[in-house]
Amino acid sequence: MPNNQFENNVLAKVKDLKVHFNSKRGVVHAVDGVDFEILNGETLGLVGETGCGKSVTGRSFLRLLPIPPGIIKGGAVNFKANLVCTRCSGRGCSECGKSGHKTEKGEQVDLLKISDTRMREIRGDRIAMIFQDPGKALNPTLTVGAQMAEVFLQHRSLEILDMAGLGQIKNKAILRFAKQDVKLFDKILLLLPKARKQKLKVQEAVKIMVSKALSETQVPNPLKLLDRFPHELSGGMRQRVMIAQALACNPDLLIADEPTTALDVTVEARILELIRELQLKRKTSVLYISHDLSLVRRICDRVAVMYAGRIVEIGKAEEIFANPSHPYTRGLMAAVPSNGIPRGSLSAIKGTVPELIDPPDSCRFSGRCPYEVNGCRVNDPKLRKITESHSVACFINDASLSWCAPSFEEERV
Amino acid sequence: MTNPPQSSNITITKDSAFSVKINRFLALLQRLLSNPTTVIGLIIIGLMLSMAIFAPWITTANIPDPYQMPRDWGAVRKPPGEMGYLLGTTNEGGDVFYGIVWGSRTSLQLSIYVVGSTMIIGTIIGSIAGLLGGWVDEVLMRIVDVFLSIPELIFALAIAAVLGPSFTNIIIALSLVIWVKYARIMRAQVLQIKQNDFVDAARIVGDSKFNIYIKDILPNAVTPVTVQATLDMGNVVLIGATLSFIGLSEAGIAEWGVLVSEGQAGIASGRWWASTFPGLMIFLWALAFNLLGDGLRDALDPRLEDR
Amino acid sequence: MKDSQKNYSDDLILSVEEVKKHYPIREGALQRIVGSVRAVDGVSLQLKRGKTLGIVGESGCGKTTLGRLISGLNDPTSGGVLYGGEEKFNRIDELKNIPLRNFRRNCQMVFQDSFASLNPRHLVADIVGRPLKVYKEATGADLLDRVVTLLEQVGLGREHLYRYPHQFSGGQRQRISIARAIALNPEIIVLDEPTSALDVSVQAQILNLLSDIQKARNLAYIFITHDLNVVRHMADDIVVMYLGKVVEAGSTKDIFDAPHHPYTKALISAKPDLDKANSENAIGLEGLIPDPARPPQGCRFHTRCVMATPDCGWEVDDVIRWLEDTPGMFEELVGVERKSEFSAVLTFSSEGAAANLIASARSEKLPLAMRQSFIKLNLNNEKVELAFKEVKEVALKSLGHRQSACVLSPEEVSKGAHYGN
Ligand SMILES: Nc1ncnc2c1ncn2[C@@H]1O[C@H](COP(=O)(O)OP(=O)(O)OP(=O)(O)O)[C@@H](O)[C@H]1O
Ligand SMILES: Nc1ncnc2c1ncn2[C@@H]1O[C@H](COP(=O)(O)OP(=O)(O)OP(=O)(O)O)[C@@H](O)[C@H]1O
Ligand code: SF4
Ligand SMILES: [Mg+2]
Ligand SMILES: [Mg+2]
Ligand SMILES: [Zn+2]
Repeated sequence: MPNNQFENNVLAKVKDLKVHFNSKRGVVHAVDGVDFEILNGETLGLVGETGCGKSVTGRSFLRLLPIPPGIIKGGAVNFKANLVCTRCSGRGCSECGKSGHKTEKGEQVDLLKISDTRMREIRGDRIAMIFQDPGKALNPTLTVGAQMAEVFLQHRSLEILDMAGLGQIKNKAILRFAKQDVKLFDKILLLLPKARKQKLKVQEAVKIMVSKALSETQVPNPLKLLDRFPHELSGGMRQRVMIAQALACNPDLLIADEPTTALDVTVEARILELIRELQLKRKTSVLYISHDLSLVRRICDRVAVMYAGRIVEIGKAEEIFANPSHPYTRGLMAAVPSNGIPRGSLSAIKGTVPELIDPPDSCRFSGRCPYEVNGCRVNDPKLRKITESHSVACFINDASLSWCAPSFEEERV
Repeated sequence: MTNPPQSSNITITKDSAFSVKINRFLALLQRLLSNPTTVIGLIIIGLMLSMAIFAPWITTANIPDPYQMPRDWGAVRKPPGEMGYLLGTTNEGGDVFYGIVWGSRTSLQLSIYVVGSTMIIGTIIGSIAGLLGGWVDEVLMRIVDVFLSIPELIFALAIAAVLGPSFTNIIIALSLVIWVKYARIMRAQVLQIKQNDFVDAARIVGDSKFNIYIKDILPNAVTPVTVQATLDMGNVVLIGATLSFIGLSEAGIAEWGVLVSEGQAGIASGRWWASTFPGLMIFLWALAFNLLGDGLRDALDPRLEDR
Repeated sequence: MKDSQKNYSDDLILSVEEVKKHYPIREGALQRIVGSVRAVDGVSLQLKRGKTLGIVGESGCGKTTLGRLISGLNDPTSGGVLYGGEEKFNRIDELKNIPLRNFRRNCQMVFQDSFASLNPRHLVADIVGRPLKVYKEATGADLLDRVVTLLEQVGLGREHLYRYPHQFSGGQRQRISIARAIALNPEIIVLDEPTSALDVSVQAQILNLLSDIQKARNLAYIFITHDLNVVRHMADDIVVMYLGKVVEAGSTKDIFDAPHHPYTKALISAKPDLDKANSENAIGLEGLIPDPARPPQGCRFHTRCVMATPDCGWEVDDVIRWLEDTPGMFEELVGVERKSEFSAVLTFSSEGAAANLIASARSEKLPLAMRQSFIKLNLNNEKVELAFKEVKEVALKSLGHRQSACVLSPEEVSKGAHYGN
């Protein structure tokens, strides 16, 4: 096991992750051997066309996969949570640089193997996720206010107590109420006049905090929104409620699965700013899933390009955008309409994403690749480093090959 | 330029459109038959239907009116098996077996008349309300609301009571009660489908309103109506039997509800057969159509269509 | 009508004149009309033969509604869409019989949701052949041949004839919609976000296809989108909409080079760009998108505009909105007695709260422009009397070939400072 341990600057490490789905027509290799790591405090972008396995990869961190039909075929998702600062209990103090956690890490766990109880502790608290489909992630039977209050009380109870002017309070019942951990007799204790007043204060503080969090995501009339049910909101509004909730948890890792797809550019810019703020304050790492390359370029430190269940290129954002080294990455970048390309001559990648059923032992991009050579159709390229921080899974310009390697100079359409 | 992402094995023949449609239907049938409870329902329905069709061959028809119970005054209150009466006889010497066999015909008539007429009327009225909207919709739906505000059974009972006891009147009473359900379902469907972009697309193309209704709206709206009709095939017999049981049908007719009604007096003195067997038939009939209806609902679910 | 007096240039084929579409808001058991959503609130634009006119704006600003008015799916509440078939321009909602059929043939539409716009029970052959059947252009084997030709033009083929829409990918379905739209050889196609549900690579294919078809057939497109990269690539001219109104119009190049309206400027700066690494200049718009049932006075954008001046239409609602967003203040507000949009008496539960508002209204807490446009701000026990300068709706002004609706001059906008700095 010790060789499995990773350095302290790494928050999570995905190793050879394989997630398959049983379907009528065969086994779908949705994620088929994915390797990458997420460093402390960084934003890692995960891009690729629809159906290439981005969401499944993201969901694996929280084990939120439909099993069956899904099967975790192998691999590991190792995660080392940050230890909470002992001086301020996560509130943020001068010692921990307002981040609320120490520089040391907790023990390393494999998120695919830990118990369900353990997983539930980690979900929302250490790892939060913004889902692609906001409809299903909210509880339809609770008002927006009620479910947001729950999340806030669970994760931000100390701040709420401070805000209610009860920072030093000793009353255990109130403390438990503020942590959403009400015991059997607490209901009675909370009925005492003094406790009741304090409880109301806490509730008031929660309400203010929730509405502030909502208004930061620019939903109109946050106060009125609190009494509404999720189904009464538009898709964009639901998405913003979910974003506010996820940001409230102060997680170590935020998985954002196309969080702004339903939103306008102006709101999107605002949401990205919010995520950035959280990141600066709490040193949160973000896995940002998107199909929008220009967006990823704007916000990410590192980028992983995914194609047909594999990572085909990964590296620092500057390197990838300055020197895209996988034909797929090049194809994606050329397809973005940008200034100067004459109308009608965008370069589209030919064909469509292949079905991921029992893929053959060849480069998955062969068939659509303009540079492919015969060798690409019988060999499966592995990720290989081309610089210290840039890897690519393609035979292109690979000097170590005995057969003639493909090169960007020669198009063979 | 693009290669199709699916490995579909549709072969192109001269009448491809036809064969594709047939294939789609066969796939539906396959989905339907892959559900064991639906198959059970279908088997029961099949047996009942054969019983109705072959009634004159199973038992000798009563002359002059085969739908009247034959009376054998020499063999009253015989338990099953005695004197050649397979399922026993009633207080008036009616053959319970005969009643069950010919009763299946009566039930079939009842369901077909009631469900057929109400489905057509309800679909037309619901479509008109949904398509025209405005005050027409308002008026029609207020009428529907009035009908719906009275419990089905009580309403049917009242109508049948006013019209007088006869089998035809039960059909009329039930039809008057049930059509509103179809009108409501259909209106909701039309309103919802009308919103779809493909209806707007047909308007953009310039097709006539009638064509849009026939080609785009109606075919997409019939699924819930079909399911409801299947369920009602069973439910109608249940309500009809209740009315008969209360005595709103003609006495002496070969009908399951009437038989239960006539037999119930004897249960206390141990003559269970005269009402148990017809009761069982009513139960099976309603059950079978409900099983089929549920199966249809699942099989027609568009999410299940394979790519 | 108007068309007899107006002069329409030769290459014009569609003219939209001051159209409005208001949707009534109904409430209560009696469904009484309590107001209206002004989805489109006075929009004019011109479409030229063979050109692409892009319509951009945020979600809910009325783009789809405008597209539906142009294609005749909905009738406008007021104003008109004029179509010049032969030489005369006529309002499309007044067309009958042959002229109406003529317009229908010549104006087609492609919808955003390719799945919803194809009848799930029809085969591709029926879908693409339908317009030809309706206009009795072809029957039997001839019809089938025409359909195959159309499918080939959009990159599909004979093998796709007998399939259902759900057997295709999103990009392929959008191709089917396009084949249907070009079947009658129209002059105009309204494209309502045709690629926003697609991947970039598929989007590129569809955009290429659309421009090829346009070149081959001299089509005019109305291209509705919220993606500025796409509109920049596709459109010759652009109309920028905000809350049901046009705030800026002009040629694509002009607008992207130097936006004349602060809203356009914000949109363009928020646009992610493949060539730009970081987001220093991406300003998300502050503030909330107003309710289209109660659009702001003066300039509709003043509630979110960083450059807003005291003349941009500050009103009572701005104060109330500020109270709503300030924790602890809104609860104290007990009554609002409006004299007009610009003046009112606010009643608070205590004198302290009222004084608090006055103090805030004189401090940094409110924007400088808003503070300077107060003409009355009095404390009267627990009441606050306030009034703003009355300002008319900011109109669209022309400057050469461009139009914009802002009180600031283009130079001031391009300098782009906050008001007061
Ligand atoms: N519940 C499921 N059952 C069967 N297959 C599934 C399921 N969920 C995902 N898949 C398959 O896994 C593959 C990857 O799906 P995933 O949702 O990760 O794609 P994605 O990259 O997130 O795409 P998008 O950009 O559309 O969100 C797809 O081919 C899909 O068919
Ligand atoms: N049939 C309708 N009844 C009532 N209100 C409507 C109707 N259609 C649209 N609206 C309202 O009109 C406004 C403009 O809607 P529209 O769909 O035209 O916006 P859009 O610019 O196309 O937005 P998006 O980018 O989200 O498609 C919205 O506030 C919407 O709620
Ligand atoms: S008029 Fe111009 S400056 Fe004033 S609010 Fe509107 S956009 Fe901003
Ligand atoms: Mg996804
Ligand atoms: Mg729209
Ligand atoms: Zn600390």
